[in-house]
Amino acid sequence: MHLTRDEERVLAGEYGEAMAEALTVIVRVGEALGAERLISIKHAHISGVSYDNIGEPGRRFIERLYVAGAKFSVPTTFNPVSYDLEEPSSIPSLKLDPNYVRAQESIVRALAAMGAELELTCTPYYAGVTVKHGLSKGDSIAWGESSAVAYANSVLGLKTNREGGPLALMAAIAGRTYYYGMHIDGERKPRIAYYVESPNPLDEAEAGVLGEIIASMHSDERPPMVKAKFSGDPSIREFLAAVGTASDIPMVHIEGVTPEDPGTGVREVVKITYEEVRGKLESMAPEGPVDIIYIGCPHASLEELEHLAKTLEKLGKPRTPIIVSTSRSVYTKLLAAGLAPKLKNLGVTIARDTCLIVSPYTKHNKNVKIATNSYKAYHYLKRKGAKAYLTKIHEHLQTNP
Amino acid sequence: MSFRGRPVVSGDVEGFVLRVESISFYGDVDPESGRLYDGRSVSGRVIVAEKSRGSTVGPYVLYALRERGLAPKAILLVSRSDPVLVAGAVLSSVVLVDSLPRGALEVLRDNVLVRVYRDGGVVIV
Repeated sequence: MHLTRDEERVLAGEYGEAMAEALTVIVRVGEALGAERLISIKHAHISGVSYDNIGEPGRRFIERLYVAGAKFSVPTTFNPVSYDLEEPSSIPSLKLDPNYVRAQESIVRALAAMGAELELTCTPYYAGVTVKHGLSKGDSIAWGESSAVAYANSVLGLKTNREGGPLALMAAIAGRTYYYGMHIDGERKPRIAYYVESPNPLDEAEAGVLGEIIASMHSDERPPMVKAKFSGDPSIREFLAAVGTASDIPMVHIEGVTPEDPGTGVREVVKITYEEVRGKLESMAPEGPVDIIYIGCPHASLEELEHLAKTLEKLGKPRTPIIVSTSRSVYTKLLAAGLAPKLKNLGVTIARDTCLIVSPYTKHNKNVKIATNSYKAYHYLKRKGAKAYLTKIHEHLQTNP
Repeated sequence: MSFRGRPVVSGDVEGFVLRVESISFYGDVDPESGRLYDGRSVSGRVIVAEKSRGSTVGPYVLYALRERGLAPKAILLVSRSDPVLVAGAVLSSVVLVDSLPRGALEVLRDNVLVRVYRDGGVVIV
């Protein structure tokens, strides 16, 4: 790999031991992938920060960098953790051991001390990081968190590979990543397109199922192109989160959404019928009542929660309790809009900084039947042994008052 | 019988094949026991899959397996490696070979003993 003089100085340890180690790992991964050089990044977002996910080895990995004197050289945010730091009991029946809490706190402390902003969300784009740090179309960033990577590339026109937890952490320290894949314009141009015609715009659950279908069909190295009608931003987010769950695809060129020219390289069009989507969704749907409804994987947006409040105001408080996970930043806006207490009165529990997947919730609640509008949540909750179902939430609320 | 792939993280190892359709270390593998959702252990095995997928937390799971002495010996893929998997393999020193011919999947079945070479060669012992 070609390195600049400055990068060689970093590797030689002139900027400290931690920075040298971080860049060494990035160079090794870049070389393994065949990258010719490194590039500067404007922002990093770190995944793999929940103690539930990474355990002691992960905690030691992060703490060691902090002890070695590492500092983030670019604005950096990180993913949700294993409980709501502001209100640890916000998720009902979540059991937290004091040692567990101490371990999670030490991870957060180490990240904060290295310079991370405490957003604790998988949707940093809803927490205003793009505006705050002047990130605009074409800028290179280094994000972990597969769903945020797909959203950044496909909706925001930012450029990032799926860095993964430790590598996004190293990129935050080094302020650089390897020039490869999604950072290269030509690599972002689709060659295979998927068309879906549906009677109505796809809602979140349908969009997630479509994401799984495309993820399993697509084997071209370039991003797929998709022509479909989505009911709104939450559906697009759920679609991309599903793609990130079911494949290693970092981007989908969505017609009418992705803010860049797809080029003229599409050589194959695959048609997917709405019946296929509907059929798959039915196989994942609950039969009969469920115990809780879960929304906000990835973390919900302000608009989505405003919409939920409106729906529930019309229908009245549902019999089934609703749990929503979102960022502290969106929660603050909910409070300002007077919506947080309103949602609470309508049977909605709001958890910040965490979610059902990265918290230890499923460990003690294996028999709780959970209906969600998120394919990603459905997939991981099931993998963790929970009874999860995918459903059209607004339809579900109307038929199960 | 032998195949040739692209060595991404090079090394010479020998082990029994563990076949999965695709691999996401986060979600599929328990970092404490090294077991898959179906109960099979990845420890000391040569994982053979068509592709990798899913969560970017995977490298930490692989790293945790390495720290606990439960890491697989190698990962062999038909598709090209996702950066997430490369990062995990680099940090955990797990041999990674990708771009194997598709036909390899028909032969590299569960419990077949294979030797993986640093040049990306895979030989059935």
